[in-house]
Amino acid sequence: MSIQEQYRKKAAELLSSGEVKLVIGYGAGTTPDRRRPLFVRSADETSKLHLDAACEANLSGYLVTEGLLADRKKVGIFLGPEGIRSVNILASESQLDPDQIVIMGFNREAESVSALEGSNVRDFPAMLAALKEQAPGAGEQALVERIENMTPEERFTFWQAEFEKCIKCYACRQVCPMCYCRRCIVDNNQPQWVQTSSHTLGNFEWNLVRAFHLSGRCVECGGCDRACPVNIPLRLINRRMAMEVLDAYDHFSGMSPDQETVLASFKKDDPETFIL
Amino acid sequence: MIQILLRDKLDDCITRWHAAGYDVIGPQKNNNVTRFAPVEKASELDLEIILTDRTVKELFFPQTEPMFRYRIGKQAIDTEEYLPPGRKRIIFGSRPCDASAMAIDDPLFGWDFKDTYWFQRRNETVMVTIACTESDDFCMCTSLKLAPDSPLGSDIMLRPVAGGKGWHVELLSERGREAFDRIEALLDDSAAEKEPIANVPKRFDLDVCREWLADPENFESHFWKEISIRCIGCGTCTFLCPTCHCFDFQDEGDTYSGIRRKNWDSCSFALFTMHTSGHNPRSTQSSRWRQRIMHKFNYFPGKFSMNSCSGCGRCSRQCPVDMGITETLQEITKTAK
Ligand code: SF4
Ligand code: SF4
Ligand code: SF4
Ligand code: SF4
Repeated sequence: MSIQEQYRKKAAELLSSGEVKLVIGYGAGTTPDRRRPLFVRSADETSKLHLDAACEANLSGYLVTEGLLADRKKVGIFLGPEGIRSVNILASESQLDPDQIVIMGFNREAESVSALEGSNVRDFPAMLAALKEQAPGAGEQALVERIENMTPEERFTFWQAEFEKCIKCYACRQVCPMCYCRRCIVDNNQPQWVQTSSHTLGNFEWNLVRAFHLSGRCVECGGCDRACPVNIPLRLINRRMAMEVLDAYDHFSGMSPDQETVLASFKKDDPETFIL
Repeated sequence: MIQILLRDKLDDCITRWHAAGYDVIGPQKNNNVTRFAPVEKASELDLEIILTDRTVKELFFPQTEPMFRYRIGKQAIDTEEYLPPGRKRIIFGSRPCDASAMAIDDPLFGWDFKDTYWFQRRNETVMVTIACTESDDFCMCTSLKLAPDSPLGSDIMLRPVAGGKGWHVELLSERGREAFDRIEALLDDSAAEKEPIANVPKRFDLDVCREWLADPENFESHFWKEISIRCIGCGTCTFLCPTCHCFDFQDEGDTYSGIRRKNWDSCSFALFTMHTSGHNPRSTQSSRWRQRIMHKFNYFPGKFSMNSCSGCGRCSRQCPVDMGITETLQEITKTAK
């Protein structure tokens, strides 16, 4: 049985037994190469679920939709490794109860998908530990290194040309499971911390603020990068921040629901070398 | 016999327009995004693009526009007004849906208050549109009763001639007269056949949709929640839409000095309708999505007798969750029939 069949069947069982009230998965998109998020509430709709290599989106952001989990009922969801990591972070930041989430996990390869064993977010420690050790993709790393090797002026010019394109549509934020703030800092106007205008300076401010807020939290699902309608390589920023926290704190985000957060935890013996 | 502009005369054409004081702006792919930008020569144009990622809207209504600078002194308040630069421009190679969208927004920007920023740019810009001979899975001009060669909003229309050698040139408006005159000597008489325009299938029944939307019974329909459940509430569809026109005023600076700006805003954002009290009359994404559809196909046509949509398809093509106007209107067509 293909994993798609297997998960359609599992979703149908979960829904008809009443174990979950909803399954969040993927459905067919407008064109044959597209998949879209699909919300399934009854067993007879589960035949609309798709699972293949085109299922790229990290669906975990929908779990923190206001009120969705308030009734304590369970929700089933299709998640790749990055999605599992973001559920861990959401749990560690007290945004959801991980036991309310029933995971249908999958690994995406170039052409196919394979099932990940387990259904609770705590069931995947070996997979996550292996992920932490895994070197980032060679192509990706080459690009990071190319930027790393630039002089500060060249690097500034590179990002200036990228951020000039930004239209402040906030698709990067809206699609991001970690950007769950009910009121994002840029939407605050008393005081106005960040300029709302979409000129190059305002765009820099926005993208830098988001990079900081995501450091040690981003799971590199690539959602922001794919969502950006003007194709700013946002993944590079988050990749760089992830390298930084891994290096400084040996922190790989989303390892478990009990993982300490990087920017919101305090240790008495922290050398605090950055404080002047 | 028709008059054609040969592709290899495009450089001459651009030179003549430059000599007459026009900036020439055309579709280009730069830094992984396709948009309209100034060109010096024909080779910088990318005329193979079916539709640019970004619309020509930003050339009339930029994403952020300074309106005036203010300085509050002890005795007086100084203000200095900013106006658009005031340059004659030719937008070469816009598509009929983008050009129509500008004409659709004219009554809006000129309704109770005449928006100087919009009209100054509109008046000094000549739209040279190229009819489409190719379309993609998201194009839907025909569903909006427009066409891949609609003249709406264009001053000069170019229709590709078979074999890709050039375009049949047609002057459509007085605004395009000078630009046309400047290149008339370059045009050749030819018997070349026009290439057939793109075959864009009708994707929904607009009349059926309009009727359904106008029925107050459907305002509270469960349909809105179902259709918009995956919408993440970003600004992609509105900002990339050539007809979406909402803006916000922002003062950048402090109490004593700063700049007032006119910035794009989007009905998809929760903040768009947030009251000072904290109350939000459109507190859910479904009510925001309903507003977008209602505005385009019910309120706007009610006021201006035109749909606020030209069928460019960007809202569906570029939505991060594969939503868009098309799906909603298709579903309404099914529901209502
Ligand atoms: S998605 Fe891209 S264009 Fe939109 S706000 Fe983010 S960086 Fe800017
Ligand atoms: S950018 Fe920061 S403040 Fe805004 S939603 Fe993301 S985490 Fe929250
Ligand atoms: S329909 Fe798509 S593009 Fe528009 S607000 Fe919703 S998610 Fe964003
Ligand atoms: S609503 Fe969609 S199809 Fe219509 S003009 Fe706007 S972006 Fe184009």
